[in-house]
Amino acid sequence: MGNDLFLIKEEIKKNIKILLCYPVEIMFWAIFPVLWVIPFIFQGQALVGGVTSAQFKELAGTEQFVPFILTGAIISTYLFSSLYGMGGNIRMESYWGTLEYILGSPARKISILMGKALSESISSTFFVTTQVIICVFGFGLTLTMGKILPILLVMLLLVVGLYGMAIALAGVTLQIKESRSLVHTIEYLFYLFSPIRYPVGINPVIATVSLVIPLTYALLAIRGIWLLNQPMSSLWKYVGLLALLDVIFVTVGYLIFHHMEKKVRRSGSVAQY
Amino acid sequence: MGLKSERAILAQDIVKTFKKKGRRKYGIGPKITRDEYIHAVNGVDLAVHEGELFGLLGPNGAGKTTLVKCLSTLLLPNSGNVSINGHDIVEDPIAARECLGITTGGERTLYWKLSGRDNLKYFAALYGLSSEEADKRIDYLMKIMGLEERQHERIEKYSTGMRQKVSISRALIHDPPVLLLDEPTLGLDPSFSRFIRSFIKKDLNQKQGKTIVLTTHYMDEADQLCDRIAIMNEGKIVAVDTPEALKRKIPQDEVLEVKCLGHADFSGIGQRVYADSAEGVTIYRIHAENVEDIMSEVIQASHSARILSMNVSKPTLEDVFIHLTGARLTGEDDGQ
Amino acid sequence: MDLLLSTDRIVRYLRAMNAENMKEWKIELTYRVDFVRGMLEPLIFVFPYVLFAMALVGGRTSSVLEGLTGVSDGVTYTIIGYIFMGFLNTAVWGMGFALRKEQWYGTLESIFVAPVPRWVYVLGMALHSTVHQGIILFFQIAVVYVLFGVILHVQGVLPVLVFIGLMLFSLVGLGLMVSGLALIFKEGWIVSEVLYSLITIVTPIAYPLAVLPPLLQKISLTMPTTYAITGIRHFLIDETMGVGLWDSYSRLILIGVCWIVSGLLMFQVVDKKVRREGTLAEY
Ligand SMILES: Nc1ncnc2c1ncn2[C@@H]1O[C@H](COP(=O)(O)OP(=O)(O)O)[C@@H](O)[C@H]1O
Ligand SMILES: [Mg+2]
Repeated sequence: MGNDLFLIKEEIKKNIKILLCYPVEIMFWAIFPVLWVIPFIFQGQALVGGVTSAQFKELAGTEQFVPFILTGAIISTYLFSSLYGMGGNIRMESYWGTLEYILGSPARKISILMGKALSESISSTFFVTTQVIICVFGFGLTLTMGKILPILLVMLLLVVGLYGMAIALAGVTLQIKESRSLVHTIEYLFYLFSPIRYPVGINPVIATVSLVIPLTYALLAIRGIWLLNQPMSSLWKYVGLLALLDVIFVTVGYLIFHHMEKKVRRSGSVAQY
Repeated sequence: MGLKSERAILAQDIVKTFKKKGRRKYGIGPKITRDEYIHAVNGVDLAVHEGELFGLLGPNGAGKTTLVKCLSTLLLPNSGNVSINGHDIVEDPIAARECLGITTGGERTLYWKLSGRDNLKYFAALYGLSSEEADKRIDYLMKIMGLEERQHERIEKYSTGMRQKVSISRALIHDPPVLLLDEPTLGLDPSFSRFIRSFIKKDLNQKQGKTIVLTTHYMDEADQLCDRIAIMNEGKIVAVDTPEALKRKIPQDEVLEVKCLGHADFSGIGQRVYADSAEGVTIYRIHAENVEDIMSEVIQASHSARILSMNVSKPTLEDVFIHLTGARLTGEDDGQ
Repeated sequence: MDLLLSTDRIVRYLRAMNAENMKEWKIELTYRVDFVRGMLEPLIFVFPYVLFAMALVGGRTSSVLEGLTGVSDGVTYTIIGYIFMGFLNTAVWGMGFALRKEQWYGTLESIFVAPVPRWVYVLGMALHSTVHQGIILFFQIAVVYVLFGVILHVQGVLPVLVFIGLMLFSLVGLGLMVSGLALIFKEGWIVSEVLYSLITIVTPIAYPLAVLPPLLQKISLTMPTTYAITGIRHFLIDETMGVGLWDSYSRLILIGVCWIVSGLLMFQVVDKKVRREGTLAEY
C-alpha cells in the first residue's frame, strides 16, 4: 500500500512534468473551449435577435441561453480534457516504447491508472478554473461564493464516473492505439446526447439516451445551483443518480481495462503500431 | 560536367552543425542549460568514383548518418558543396535525387499497413515510373530478394530482415546509378546480413556497376566489402584508402590477443597495449614485432588474472582506428 | 522550386499525385472503423447547432433570421452552412496533416528523397481529401434530406460548383500553410485547431455577417469561406447575397492567389528550416 502511494505520486509527478513541456497545450485547454461557444452566441442572436428566448425557457428553465452554453462548455471541458489527456498519455507511452515496461512491471495496474487519472484531474481543474475566470470577466457570467462548494461536490461525483470512462479508454487504447479519434467520437456523442449545448428535451430520443450519461445529471444539478438558484433539496435526485452511474461506470471501466490488458498480452501487440 | 565520368559523388568541405537548445525550467521559464552546438560533420571532403563501393566506417555518433543525409538532400549542410553525378544538390536537387537510391536506418520507414508490393508501387510512382514499368521492376526485385511469396502481406507482418529487403528494393526501384546505404545490416541476424552483403557486393556493385556508399560500424563488413574506406570519427574523416593500404599504415606488428578474467598489468610489454573489458572479462591486444618473444612475459605478468585464451592475429581495421584516433571503434553505444 | 515544367515532369507529378491519392485510400480502408466514423462524425457534428436553433425558436422558423437573410428556416440555413464547411475541415486536417502523418509513420524521409517537389505530395493529398469530402457531402445531403426534409434547388448546382472550386483553391493554400506549421510545431494540432476555430467564428456559417461586431465583419470579408458559403446558400436556398456574384467570384480568386502564394512561401521556409535543424525524422 505504501508502495502504491509512492507509485501514484511518481506517476502524477511524471505526467505533470511532461505536460509542462507542452505550454501551448495548456493554454489551449484553458482558453479554447470557451471560444467554441462564440458561434452559438452569434447564432442565437441571428435567430432570436437578442440574448433571451421564451421558448428556450420552457425547455431549459432559463431564458438566458448564453450562461446556459457557457456552463455547458466549462463542465464538458472537465470531462474531455481528461479523456484526451488519458488517451494521449497511453498512446505516447506506447509510441515511446515505455508502455511495455509499465505493463511489465509488477505494480498494481489500478495504481498506475489512478496516478494517471489524478494527474489529469489536477490539470483539468486548472483549465476549468481559468475558464470560469474568462467567463466571469469576459462574458459576464456571475458566480456567488456560496454556490462554489455545492458545485464542487457535484463535480467530484462527475469525476468518479469520468475515472470509469478513462480507465476503460486506457484499456481500449492498448488495443487500438489511435484513441484520439475514439475520444472524438465520444465527444460528439456526448455533445449530441447530453445537455451541453441545448436542453435535451427538444427531442424525445435524445432525452431518453441522455438518461444513461452521467454528464447529463451533473449538468442538470450544476445548472440548477448556478443558474436557476434551486435549493439543494430539489437536486438530490440528480446527485443520487449520478452516484449510481458512477458505481456502474467504474466497475464496467475496470472490467474493460482488465479484459483488454489480458487480450493484448495474449496477442502481443503492445508495442506494435 | 567533365567530372561526371569519374566522380559519382563529389563533396567539398561539408560542415553540419546542430544546435541543441538549452533546457528551460518548466518548458517556458529561463534557460537552465546553455545552447549547445554539435559538430556532427566537421569539414568533410569526399570523392567517390563511378562504380566504386565506398565505405564510411566509424563508431556510433561519428556523423555517418548526418553525412549521408547531407549527400541525399535530406539535410542542408551549413556549408560545402555536393554534386551527385555532376548535379549540384542545392541547385538541382531533383536531378540529384533522380540518380540516388537511399536507405536510412530505422524500423519505420515503410507503411506498415500496406503490403510490401503496395509500398514499392507507391514509391515507384514517386520516382516517375509508369504502372507497367513499376510492375515489371517490382516483380524483378521481389524475385531476387526472395519475397515473392509474401509480397501481398502487410509490412507489419514481416520480420526485420524482410523489411530491410523491402527497404533496399525501394532504393533500387528506379535503378539509380548511385546508392547510399546507411547501416544496411544493422540489427539483422547473420544469415540476413550475409545475404544483404553479398547482394550489395556481387549483384549491385560487381554485376550492375553501381556506385555505392555504405556506412557501417562493423569493421569486418567494411573490410570484406569495400574498395575504399573512409574512417570517420567525431565528424571528421581521419583516413581514406583501400582496406589493405589502411592496415599497412600502422607498423607491421603481429597482435597477441589475450582474454583474461579480471585485470592484468601488461604495460611495457610489446609496442602498444589496448584493453577492452566487459562483464569482468578483459581483452588485451598487444602489438609486437614478434609475438613469440613476449609470450612468457605475458604469462608472468598475468598472475593476478586468469587467462582464458590467447590468439595471434594480424592488425585489423580496428587497430587502425585505434591507432588513428586513440579511441575504440566498437565501444559502448551512445544510444541513439 | 521549378517554374518551368516540361510535359514529362508534369506527367510524373500527376502520376505521383495519383499514387499519393491511391495510397491514402488503401491505408484509410485498412482502418475500417475509423473510415465509417469519418463518414458519420461530420453529421453528428452538425446536430448540436441544429438542435440549439430549434430550442431557441421553438421550431424551425425565425422571423429575425428571415429579416436578416431572406431565409426563414433556421434549420436548413444552419445545415447547409456546416455541411459545406466540411471542406475547411478537410483542408486543415486532411491536407495539413498529411506530412505530419508521414513523420509519425516514419516514411517522411523516404518520400523526401524521391525526385518530386514537396508540394506535389500536398497536392496529392488535396486531391484525396477533396474526393473523400465530396463523397461525404453527398452522403450528408441524403441524410439531412431524410431527417430534416432539407430541399435544395437543383438548378443552382453549377454556380455552386464554381464556388466550391474557388474555395478549394484558397483552401489548398491553407493546407500548405498548415502542413508547414504541423512540421515545425510539436503541438501542430493545436495550431490547426486555433486557425480552424477562428475561421469558423468569422465565417457566416450559422448566422449572417450582420450579427458580427464590425471588426469581425471586416476580417470575415478576407475569408474565402465567407463568399463561398453565402454564395452556395444563395443558389441552393435563396439567401440574399451582400456582395454581387461576379464580385464574389473575383474576390475568391484574389484571396485564393494570396493564400496559395503564402502557403508555398511558408512551406518553402519550413522545409529549409527543418532540413537545417535535422528535425525531419523526429516525431
Ligand atoms: N537532428 C539532430 N539534432 C541534434 N543532434 C543531432 C541530430 N542528428 C544527429 N545529431 C548528433 O550528431 C552526431 C552524429 O550523429 P549521426 O550522424 O547519427 O552519427 P552516426 O550515424 O555515425 O552514428 C551525434 O552526436 C548526434 O547526437
Ligand atoms: Mg547512424
